[in-house]
Amino acid sequence: MVVTHRTVDGIDLIALSGRLMMADVPQVRQRLLEVVEKGGGRLVLDLAEVGFMDSSGLSVLVSVFKAARLKGGDVVLLRPNPTVRSLIELTRLQQIFSIFDEEAQALARWR
Amino acid sequence: MAMTRTIRLVIESRAECIELLSGAVSGLCGLTALPADEIARIELAVVEAVNNAVEHAYHSEPGHMVVVEFRLMPDAFSLLVRDRGDPMDPDKLTASAEAVKLDRADPETWALRGRGLSIIKSCMDSVEYEVGDGENTLTMRRRLGGSRPD
Repeated sequence: MVVTHRTVDGIDLIALSGRLMMADVPQVRQRLLEVVEKGGGRLVLDLAEVGFMDSSGLSVLVSVFKAARLKGGDVVLLRPNPTVRSLIELTRLQQIFSIFDEEAQALARWR
Repeated sequence: MAMTRTIRLVIESRAECIELLSGAVSGLCGLTALPADEIARIELAVVEAVNNAVEHAYHSEPGHMVVVEFRLMPDAFSLLVRDRGDPMDPDKLTASAEAVKLDRADPETWALRGRGLSIIKSCMDSVEYEVGDGENTLTMRRRLGGSRPD
């Protein structure tokens, strides 16, 4: 799993690429929590290139959400593919995550 | 009697090996007429079942075997996930029927874990769990053809 990070106007944009499964979880969780710790806790997670995710991957999203909310921030999701979106909806995680199709819409969450 | 064709796949109880099973099961499901989105759901169910075997039955300890058996019949298939670790409390399979309510305003509802079994049940037509002779078996069944009940 490849994790790419950039910042736009103080908002952390993190793009994940690959399959997010149990074997990848420790490394990806640590990387994302570091971003929350060093930044302002406002994260856009771009999932467009995540082809597969299981419940351990969802636990990473919830961990990061918790950490961000503790800092007064939030995490939004960008462009999950239909498979990942279906998993998010199946587990009702759309009740805590806003999901956007366009980066500009996601960034506008804080503008 | 319709012929059942069976293949057994074996991995070591390491998280890094689960992707191998995931890919193999996806390929096997490609032999059926299921659409890609349905195959992805079955792949997910198997990954969740194997995750549970590695993490909960074997406590993430490498060196044990997880066996996945794929039984293909003309109108259905079964996927059996077997381990010889600590058995799961069978009540968990029943309890997971209810999806957890999440609330953005209530941190108590932001559960990190506990979604695997409900995912498995929602992706398959039936799920059973059996413990016997030191072996635990999760059996997942899926009909082929026709529509699935919601």
